Amino acid sequence: MSTKGMSSKGVNSRGRTRGSRAAITGIGVIAPNGLRADSYWKSVGEGLVVLDTISREGCDHLPLRVAGEVRGFDAAGLIEERFLVQTDRFSHFAMAAAALALDDAGIGRGAPEEPFDIGVVTAAGSGGGEFGQRELQKLWGQGPRYVGPYQSIAWFYAASTGQISIRGGFKGPCGVVASDEAGGLDAVAHAARAVRRGTGAVLVGGAEAPLAPYSMVCQLGYAELSTVEDPSRAYRPFTEAACGFVPAEGGAMLVVEDEHRARDRGAPVRAVVAGHAATFTGASRWDRSREGLAQAIRGALDEAGCAPEEIDVVFADAMGVPEADRAEAGAIADALGAHGSRVPVTAPKTGIGRAYCGAPVLDIAAAVFAMEHRLIPPTPNVYDICHDLDLVMSRARPAEPRTALVLSRGLMGSNAALVVRREDDSAR
Amino acid sequence: MITTAVTYDELADLIKRGAGVSVDPRELERASDTPFGILGLDSLGMLGIVGELENQYGTSLPPDTERCRTPQEFLDLVNSTLKAGA
Repeated sequence: MSTKGMSSKGVNSRGRTRGSRAAITGIGVIAPNGLRADSYWKSVGEGLVVLDTISREGCDHLPLRVAGEVRGFDAAGLIEERFLVQTDRFSHFAMAAAALALDDAGIGRGAPEEPFDIGVVTAAGSGGGEFGQRELQKLWGQGPRYVGPYQSIAWFYAASTGQISIRGGFKGPCGVVASDEAGGLDAVAHAARAVRRGTGAVLVGGAEAPLAPYSMVCQLGYAELSTVEDPSRAYRPFTEAACGFVPAEGGAMLVVEDEHRARDRGAPVRAVVAGHAATFTGASRWDRSREGLAQAIRGALDEAGCAPEEIDVVFADAMGVPEADRAEAGAIADALGAHGSRVPVTAPKTGIGRAYCGAPVLDIAAAVFAMEHRLIPPTPNVYDICHDLDLVMSRARPAEPRTALVLSRGLMGSNAALVVRREDDSAR
Repeated sequence: MITTAVTYDELADLIKRGAGVSVDPRELERASDTPFGILGLDSLGMLGIVGELENQYGTSLPPDTERCRTPQEFLDLVNSTLKAGA
């Protein structure tokens, strides 16, 4: 994204002014600590820890023991059977979160009046591993004639975008961002750009389902993965005891909408997507991510027209690997200057784990709630930090954040930063 | 009556298991010229049903079986093929 894109003026076919701001008007969450956005926020605000021993079938013999599982998710009660049979759990989460986001935005679930005015963008880190495993087992166990045709769509990165679009009848610009965990932020930026170019609204976000045997085996090769068996010690970024990260299921979907469209239909503007930038510094090159992440922060601030001092809270990436944590603390200091050691920093994901591409979108959701509720949520399980950061620990801190910076990095080397702002005239 | 004929009950069951679409077998039989698309079946769903039948009967069905538009057309083609092969 560039500032040029934001300032270009013109009128599109619907009479809307191009370059209008991208507002967040709906939030849908399916997370280990809540199956709705409001319950997720309640858990986050209280610093609830839901990391636990993995209980999903066929996983108990693997050395990855602790994760954030989405439990009590009633896929059959939320999604029509004809969509269920052709989709993986990661798409079930995304479809359910998308429906919740639409409800929250006050956009009906019926056929849209202007189908080409609504698009869908998701970020995906691995696709549908559980579905894929089941079909591959048929391939090797029974033969190619026993592999179901839905394998051809269910396990791909783009599956959730396609299914949300088909289910809702949304025919606007659609896409999938496969740019590592930070892609969750890149997807929101992509959606905001579509809105600035004239699309009315975009359903955007990410949800993942990495807790199935095949998917877990794929993750075992990550040096950054925590294999600690005690849930209270498995994921403690920014501490001397940092031992890697814990994965999680779930994610969030947002409705990012043209602010004028939102106001015209009387929908509250919860926040505005103000700026974003992304960089790449190589897989597991955490020392280099310092410069990359700092550059992403500078780019996001520049696009948002925001001075470092205006950042009221930072939602950290919090990888939980000493070298990566050091790089992140350094990036915050490099990009925000002296303000970097004063601004409150938080990482609610230590209570639920990292849901790959879903993780930064969950952080955006938490940032919006934090601004609305004037409360910075804590970083559970983290007590003594060894970096020069004002990390919010133990309990939530009352504050009046108006501008939040959300950071994300991926294991493959992507770094991204996104600025969300609460506006003075945000109706709430 | 040949023993290898696929019935509307079996077809309804295949549609349910293969494509997640619930359809009453009697309704399927009564409205047997209603296009599959209207019932909510897509082309991949049809392909899955054809594959399931081929595995079940241990035989190949004609190349364009999944392109049959209606239950009537589909069962006519499937059953005439099974009969010819029996």
